[in-house]
Amino acid sequence: MTVTPEQEDRLAAWLDGALPEGEAQAFAMELAANPALRALEQEWRANDRLIADAFAPVAEAPIDPALLRKMGLEPEPAVASSLAANDNQPARWRRFAPWGGAAMAAGIALAVMLGRPAPVDPLSQALDRTPSLASATLPDGRRIEPTLTVRAADGRWCREYRSAGSIALACRNGAGRWTTEGEGAAPAGQPQSSDGIAMASGPEGAALDGAYRRLGASDPVDAGAEARLIGGGWK
Amino acid sequence: MRARIVAALPRLRRFCQAMTGNADDGDDLMQATVERALARSDQFDPQTRLDSWLFRIAQNLHIDAVRRTRRRGAHLPDDELLHVAGEDGRILVENRSELAVAQHALQQLPEDQRAVFVLVVVEGQGYREVAETLGIPIGTVMSRLARARSRIGDVLGRRAVA
Repeated sequence: MTVTPEQEDRLAAWLDGALPEGEAQAFAMELAANPALRALEQEWRANDRLIADAFAPVAEAPIDPALLRKMGLEPEPAVASSLAANDNQPARWRRFAPWGGAAMAAGIALAVMLGRPAPVDPLSQALDRTPSLASATLPDGRRIEPTLTVRAADGRWCREYRSAGSIALACRNGAGRWTTEGEGAAPAGQPQSSDGIAMASGPEGAALDGAYRRLGASDPVDAGAEARLIGGGWK
Repeated sequence: MRARIVAALPRLRRFCQAMTGNADDGDDLMQATVERALARSDQFDPQTRLDSWLFRIAQNLHIDAVRRTRRRGAHLPDDELLHVAGEDGRILVENRSELAVAQHALQQLPEDQRAVFVLVVVEGQGYREVAETLGIPIGTVMSRLARARSRIGDVLGRRAVA
């Protein structure tokens, strides 16, 4: 059996759900009776998916603020960022992160990224975009510093971050919102903000151990993988 | 208006890259599109979709540029798209080459088929929207999609079928 050009037209509309109901039923019967048409349906569907998937990250990539300015679309300073000034990194990070602090070379300025279709809260935006060991200042003045990235057993990406004397673990849902899964006082010896009060918290990082266990978290990813996640919209 | 353009920008950028075949030319097209949109914002009908309007401007500018290029006798080096260097790790290379393969397939389509295919398959627009965006009948949307998918099938073969 072969496929006529007229059938190809209807196959295209069938794949896009654009056939009127009566015609769709008739086409489903043609499809069932014609293996060549079915094979073509599979091939077209797979090619569509390949191309749509390949282009999906393009619309997730940040748009350079300089380019926005050039186009007359002034970026608003939603998230400002600078490198963490201290080199007193938390021991948990040192233990887990194999790439070393040198990877975060001086001069990283976090791009202010605009234009995501769904508005998410500033903390989620900052966790989406800030590499580990860089810091971001939220509009309310709070400074956060992601320290590592892990994957939960359910497939979600999660990040530990520090903020004003506390540490927290947040995971990203499909809509780009990061929700807190665990929180605790930062271990002693970590930098404190002026209003941060260090509290005894046992072994370093222990405050989040329960959350890590409950989530079945993987080992932290390396800097390259994290950069790809940030660049690729955490897909 | 500016805020709405910014919100539509990531998808406009993707459309532009898919139409031009690479990121640099795509960003140039995006820039030209935004410039024109801002200059002619009074022509935008608020009852219609801003993204469709931007896509239409981009498509018109792109067709103009292609015609100018053809008149000058230049040609686009399709094959270079497949030579993707990568030493930054496996995942990145895989992602890049997937995009390169997709770009290569799209570049084998005539401009009018490519626009229809990208709007439906990549941007997820319905036939009616595409017909309005490009100013063509719905039947033409359908037949261009069929021709485009057939051509892409020839280029990609059955490699995409798992």
